[in-house]
Amino acid sequence: MTEDDLLARIRAAFHDADPVPDGVLASGRSAFSWRTRDAGLAELARDEEPRAARSVRGTAARALTFAGPGGLTVEIEVAGRGREITGRLVPATSARVTVRHLGTAPGELTAYADGSGQFALPSVPEGLFSLVFDLPDATSVVTSWVRL
Amino acid sequence: MVEEGVAAREGAAGGRGGVREGGVARGRAGARAAERDETAGLVVRAREGDGGAWARLVERYTSFLWAIARSYELNDADAADVVQTTWMRLVERIDAIEEPAATGRWLAVTARRESARTARRRGREAVGGVPPAAADASAAPERIVLARERLDRVAAAIEALPRRCRALLRLYALAPSHADLAAAMEMPAGSVTSARRRCMGRLERRLAR
Repeated sequence: MTEDDLLARIRAAFHDADPVPDGVLASGRSAFSWRTRDAGLAELARDEEPRAARSVRGTAARALTFAGPGGLTVEIEVAGRGREITGRLVPATSARVTVRHLGTAPGELTAYADGSGQFALPSVPEGLFSLVFDLPDATSVVTSWVRL
Repeated sequence: MVEEGVAAREGAAGGRGGVREGGVARGRAGARAAERDETAGLVVRAREGDGGAWARLVERYTSFLWAIARSYELNDADAADVVQTTWMRLVERIDAIEEPAATGRWLAVTARRESARTARRRGREAVGGVPPAAADASAAPERIVLARERLDRVAAAIEALPRRCRALLRLYALAPSHADLAAAMEMPAGSVTSARRRCMGRLERRLAR
């Protein structure tokens, strides 16, 4: 058996025992429909999970920071079983905040950041989510996708 | 530290390996077909809005990304989450990729980091007293029965290997390129080569018995 033959047999063995579920391929294909070309990206810079000892009661917060274009920073905290999100934009700016979520209709969850840059979303469902900020200068910024 | 930035740099630092056909055996593709399906070309065309190129990129890498998640012993739901997150992260930064040829390595590193993060979270949950998600045999990749009724000699020999060798050979067989494999293993290309030779040798000796 040549190495190529053996590799084909290895692939077949794993394909047989543990095939990639169809839904996994489908979710990869449909990811492309979430492409936004007209918004700047704020990439995940920090993701601090609460400590286990405190998270049991659901009181500790997970803290995430995203670094956006032009020095804009998005800081959010996710707390409680309902995943309440509080956040702020630095430097402070007002903005319309929209949640992008794979299991929620577009525009269903929105909030406004006031002049101090602070905003709150009472409850965000589990799963992949991202925030879109429509800024006063008519530009938009989206955060990296993060799993809540 | 910006995770994606680190991943991109790590990817760019990796060597360029030869490209092998990954995934399900596809038969002999002509040189032109291989060129058409090359990762960099698919990324560039997807960026230009070619949904078909995106779909081929997903088909080319998904079983490899799934294998990376499984190498962290993630269950079905967590492994599916890791693969999906990896693709969403590529979509959001596809316009910013400076070296399309490094995309495979970036995908591997991103999947590896997401897998490690998920595995850590599961470990913490177990420590914190929350019952771990589905500990039954079907959800534990460690206990996946490679052989069942269709047991053939190769599957049986793989199953008898140490866990690390099993994971490595799976990634090796599925990696679209050697550089992608090194990125998935978090090892320098040279160390991957020697580890891979050792595991292939073990497998071949078992088959020769």
